[in-house]
Amino acid sequence: MTTRSTRSPRRRTVIALAVVLAVLSGFIIRLVDIQVVNADTHIADSMKVALGASRTLYGTRGEIVDETGQTLAGSILLYDGVLDPKNVGPLTRTDDDGERVQVPWSQIAGEIAAITGQTAQDVQKIVADARAEDPDSQFAYLQRGLTTEQYRALVDIGAPFLTFDSHPARTYPDGAVGGNLVGFMGIDAEPLAGIEKSQNDCLLATNGALSFQKGKDGVVIPGTELEQPAINGGTLQLTINRDLSWYLQQLIAEQVQDMVAQSGSIMVVEAETGKIRAVAEYPTVDPNNVDASADADRGSRLFRNFFEPGSTFKALTAATVLDAGGQTPTSTVVASSRETFANGARVSDAFNHEAYTYTLAGVLIDSSNAGISKFSERVDSATRFDYLKRFGIGAGSAVGFEGEQSGWLRPAAEWDNQTTYNTAFGQGLTTTVPELVGAYDAIANDGLRMPLSLVESCLRPDGTVVEPTLPEPTRVISEQAAAQTREILENVAIQANYAKQIEVPGYRLAVKTGTGEKSDGNGGYKAGAYFTTMIGFAPADDPKYIVVVTLDEPTKVTSSAANAPAFQKAMTQVLKTYRVMPATTAATLLPKFG
Amino acid sequence: MSALPQAAVVAPTPVDSPNRRLRVVEEPSRRRRPKLIYGIVALVGALSIGTAQMALSILTTQSSYELSTLAQESRELTWHKQILFDDVAGLSSPQYLAANASALGMVINESPSYLRLSDGALLGAGQVSLGASSVDAIGRAAVPNALITDTPLVTAPGATIEGAPVEPEVVVTDGGVSNTPPPLTDGLPTPSTH
Repeated sequence: MTTRSTRSPRRRTVIALAVVLAVLSGFIIRLVDIQVVNADTHIADSMKVALGASRTLYGTRGEIVDETGQTLAGSILLYDGVLDPKNVGPLTRTDDDGERVQVPWSQIAGEIAAITGQTAQDVQKIVADARAEDPDSQFAYLQRGLTTEQYRALVDIGAPFLTFDSHPARTYPDGAVGGNLVGFMGIDAEPLAGIEKSQNDCLLATNGALSFQKGKDGVVIPGTELEQPAINGGTLQLTINRDLSWYLQQLIAEQVQDMVAQSGSIMVVEAETGKIRAVAEYPTVDPNNVDASADADRGSRLFRNFFEPGSTFKALTAATVLDAGGQTPTSTVVASSRETFANGARVSDAFNHEAYTYTLAGVLIDSSNAGISKFSERVDSATRFDYLKRFGIGAGSAVGFEGEQSGWLRPAAEWDNQTTYNTAFGQGLTTTVPELVGAYDAIANDGLRMPLSLVESCLRPDGTVVEPTLPEPTRVISEQAAAQTREILENVAIQANYAKQIEVPGYRLAVKTGTGEKSDGNGGYKAGAYFTTMIGFAPADDPKYIVVVTLDEPTKVTSSAANAPAFQKAMTQVLKTYRVMPATTAATLLPKFG
Repeated sequence: MSALPQAAVVAPTPVDSPNRRLRVVEEPSRRRRPKLIYGIVALVGALSIGTAQMALSILTTQSSYELSTLAQESRELTWHKQILFDDVAGLSSPQYLAANASALGMVINESPSYLRLSDGALLGAGQVSLGASSVDAIGRAAVPNALITDTPLVTAPGATIEGAPVEPEVVVTDGGVSNTPPPLTDGLPTPSTH
């Protein structure tokens, strides 16, 4: 029974329902849009605007430690003080009587300056300069690299326009001890030199992040922290010994000053392993205060310099003729102080003498250029070149130090008449201290040349130990030739004119000096200026350590005798440091003349 | 809608099916009243869950404030640690040790000697130490360390590692314990023992 009266309210109900449904579905669509379709965007917005926060977790750069685990380079936190010049102004403080007083900016500047070690004018100038450049400037460094103590004191001033950024920085507890090797970092934590730079892969830390949501009052909402942990850098262990390094650095500094030389260095290498135990240099750098050193002193000269070695190469020639020329330490040549050879080359000695019948040992004891030139004829040039190559001359060292140089050695075919003889006593070629030590290591270590190394290992934070891969040891000469060469060098230490100066009571030493000529830059030699070297090892019968002392242009004594006192003390200290026992057997004396 | 047509339907003659028997309808079981206890349990359960949740929430909030305080404390201690670390930085360096030892008059001995325990033999030169040190760690200190350039030596508070004199600090004398021993009036003090 449908009537007009019943039809109308029904329709209205339907319409009302439809409207309600339409509105409801509108809401539902919007709800789905907010909650499902665009949910991620909104969550992201809320995190960005209100709730979310995150903090960088700084990883600690790895330590550099010495042979015994003593820290050579460690990490600390430093702070950069940042001013907001636009908002710099007076502060309101409560004084002792509980009254609020205005403190003028000039006084605040004075308080800040007293902490940072600047003057109040300096601080005011920083702000004034920043404002002059840009009146709306909100950023000017007050000072970078503030210590924690300064940072806390500055915070206590309570200035809202002074903020701080913390950043990891380096500290070198031992100062200049090993500074030439360890290197240093820039203010932006960039490694700039030395091991810090070359071994950055091991030391580098990876920063992490801690993200969280915080409530209205800044308190972290529980359960919202998400931590991506920082990964610390690895601990790098070097082969050097810091106490020994300090002594040798002090020693070479005194020797350089005493001899009025330009620079000097001492290097100590363990004969059986090729591990470098000390590289002491003067002048050098304190990584805590790099600015105090001249540019040229900020690295390691010992690795960067090459030089004409001079007489230290006579030992290499002697080893070559012993190994390949069928000679013995008592084989003889007749040589006067000036010799002219069949090919026209002329060689003269540093002192005048008539024609002596020198033994090979005698040639080295007197360091006769003519004598060793005559001995060098017992093998051909190609063989000598081959042996020099095997001794590692011209090939650099396995250390691969930053900026390391290598010596320069022309192939035997390119040697002219004079060079053929000059190379026998270390002229007409160049080498580096690491190359020279490597060559002597072959003599000290029974003919087997060990690759030099400076890095012991890298201990990664996950506990793995990474040891550097080193080239295989090189067989240079036979064990017998090595033993004979050692015997000759021991006789040099006993019979040379500087024998008394280098004597270490109770020990058997082997030694050789070298007085290298220096280029004057115009193809000639500098007059009266030499690069002097003294290299040796002990104990002579069973070598444990090789010590080399160099001086660049000593002027008090210009010859290699200038190195003798430092060599004697250095060797003594090395033997003490490593508890090398005194000799219980006596040396075999070899005749100088046949 | 119109009224349903009234049609007379002739009922079919009832045929007695052999299977159909009349039986007495059972008395419908009386509807049991719902037990109050369940309601109470549900309500109490809901309430206690609510209360527990609230309590836990309060506790978490509480501990998050506590965490915040502790984090602040830990930060302050870290700063303190860093300040102390900075204070002692460099004191472990060989320069500092050597300069201190030199200031006491110690010298670096020359060639070492060893006593062999098995037969008491003396290995090495066995010389006495000469008066002069092989290096002059304080008079000619040449290995700089910026961390302790101004730090006075322990053994010679008037000097630094570089041998340079330091500005004497103004000693506050009022209060504190004086370094000067009190004058003796009754002889040496003796501890009373039983």
